[in-house]
Amino acid sequence: MENHLVELCIDSACRSKDSVEKWRRQKRSLERLPSHLADALLRRLHARRLLYPSLLEVFKYTIEVVDLSGENAVDSEWMAYLGSFRYLQSLNVSNCRRLSSSGIWTISGMTTLRELNVSRCLKVTDAGIRHLLSIPTLEKLCIAETGITAHGVTLLSSLKTLVFLDLGGLPVTDQALSSLQVLTKLQYLDLWGSKISNSGSAVLQMFPKLSFLNIAWTNVTKFPNLPHLECLNMSNCIIDSTLKGPGDKVPLRKLIASGATFSNETEDLAFVGIHVLYYLDFSNASFHRFCFLSHMQAVEHLDLSSTTIGDDSVGLIASVGENLKYLNLSSTAVSSSGVGILARKVTNLETLSLSHTMIDDAVLSYISMMPSLKSIDLSETDIKGYIHLSATEKIKFLSLTELQNLDCLEMLNLEHTHVDDESLRPLSRFRKLSHLMLRGPSFTDVALSNLSILPKLKTLSIRDAVLTNQAFDALRPVATLQTIDLRGCWLITEGGLSGFHRRFPQIEVRHEHFHFSSDPTSSDRPSTHSTPKKLQLNQRSRSTSMSPYFVDQRLKYSKEELLALQFSSLSHGSTSAPEIGQKSDS
Amino acid sequence: MKKEETVKLISAEGFEFIIHKDAAMVSQTIRNMLTSPGNFAESQHREVTFPEISTTILEKICQYFYWNLQFASGKETEFPIEPELTLELMMAANYLHT
Repeated sequence: MENHLVELCIDSACRSKDSVEKWRRQKRSLERLPSHLADALLRRLHARRLLYPSLLEVFKYTIEVVDLSGENAVDSEWMAYLGSFRYLQSLNVSNCRRLSSSGIWTISGMTTLRELNVSRCLKVTDAGIRHLLSIPTLEKLCIAETGITAHGVTLLSSLKTLVFLDLGGLPVTDQALSSLQVLTKLQYLDLWGSKISNSGSAVLQMFPKLSFLNIAWTNVTKFPNLPHLECLNMSNCIIDSTLKGPGDKVPLRKLIASGATFSNETEDLAFVGIHVLYYLDFSNASFHRFCFLSHMQAVEHLDLSSTTIGDDSVGLIASVGENLKYLNLSSTAVSSSGVGILARKVTNLETLSLSHTMIDDAVLSYISMMPSLKSIDLSETDIKGYIHLSATEKIKFLSLTELQNLDCLEMLNLEHTHVDDESLRPLSRFRKLSHLMLRGPSFTDVALSNLSILPKLKTLSIRDAVLTNQAFDALRPVATLQTIDLRGCWLITEGGLSGFHRRFPQIEVRHEHFHFSSDPTSSDRPSTHSTPKKLQLNQRSRSTSMSPYFVDQRLKYSKEELLALQFSSLSHGSTSAPEIGQKSDS
Repeated sequence: MKKEETVKLISAEGFEFIIHKDAAMVSQTIRNMLTSPGNFAESQHREVTFPEISTTILEKICQYFYWNLQFASGKETEFPIEPELTLELMMAANYLHT
């Protein structure tokens, strides 16, 4: 155990308000604290919700990085203490909704601060930007989705050291952007949802070092041609032409254009350098032809979900071949025979998604010829789990058997398929499977007991199934199991599962009506949120002990009563409510 | 305890703690001091002086060494730490890699 005693000390120091009071006046010790220990202590105090503004002062000389993102209490008082931190380099107060421009005033003039994140602090406005201008060392600034206007953005031009600038969701105009031209050190620029147009994007050529650019959801239609651009996000843009740049082709490594519309001239992507491009996200993009795929030799990540790709174009993916590690073809017109074209061609493919497609059981034999697969998503498809070998004799072949030769397979998603208890049987031979997702009323207790023996299983999700409490009485899950998701299993009750939770406290059980979190005492490191969760659990079990164990209304009534209710609601419409009330009283 | 199985740890104030070698080895730093090749005073005399660690803290550290041995052999008890000591103990533990 690495530095176990340090861990115990931090634990003891942050046990309660009283324990904090015991050490917070030891000024000399606090000033000598090495920064990584001070950092760990501050973070634990924050996680335990023991931090308050004046306590921050004890870290004045030791802390370099502060992350308080999402902390609603942060206001000007907190910022005043943070502003006095002598060596603070990075401050993240994103999503702190009470933080306003006057809070920024208290950190103005800091001489060490290099990174500041105030994204999504709506009360930070142009006035706040004025206070920031007195911090000459700022290199990274995130002000996405704040109350800052185009004018405030113009002011940033005096922060000459900026390298990283996130202006996402701000109304940046072409004019404001052109005033930022002086920031020649910029490498990262996020302008999603801004008001810039093609004339503004021409200004982008003035940033010589720009390597990351996000102009998603803008009116830019010309593909920027920048000599050092590595990552470009043009999601939901209409791309109809390219800008002339110094080089022939953009040396992109990553291109995200989900939901983008390509014109006839641009859809061959001839303007993109193909030798280093490894990440392509075209989900939901509109393409007519996919011929660009034929020369994308370096692509490892390819997302073509919700595009018009069909079996006729799959051959082009096969030509990408060897390098491909991630392929998403969900919600496309690709069928089993289309996947057949890829079999044996994509030997390094690790992740394959075919959900919401027309594939059937024939696809499984093709998938078995992709030896590196780790994760397969077959949800919402026509997979039955068996093939009739001969129609007359009704001999069934359990088609999931095909997958048992995939030695790396860790994750399998079969939600909303036609697979049932019996056709799942081959799964018990999948030695490495750690995550399994099933969903639908065709699974019963049999499936649960068969699957619980999978040696590496970590997450098991059987949703909307007809599992009963009895299945858990005898269940002996493998030691690796961490989570069982039983949402939508309406026959299961909290009382019925409490015995299981007592026997296996380390397993987290999820359900709409109750939640057994994994017990912190079974691990060395106590989880920080354990106390509130436990309280909640106690209250819940008290309330259920007063009422009967019913979680589903259907369980309250016998079959005859239910049928009677069904007809009464048909005949009377909305008047059926009082009747139900009477029934439950009787 | 035979003499060759013990280690002497000396605090800032000069208090001497004589503990079993295995216990002292819980600390990666002391282990390195005692097992490093060459004729260092530490490995010859089995004696380590800590001018930065006070007697109270060094006593607690020694208690921890023994508790850690028990813990490692499967005895699950809690190691109590007074909140007043946490800062100094934390720094000492950080220095001793334990």
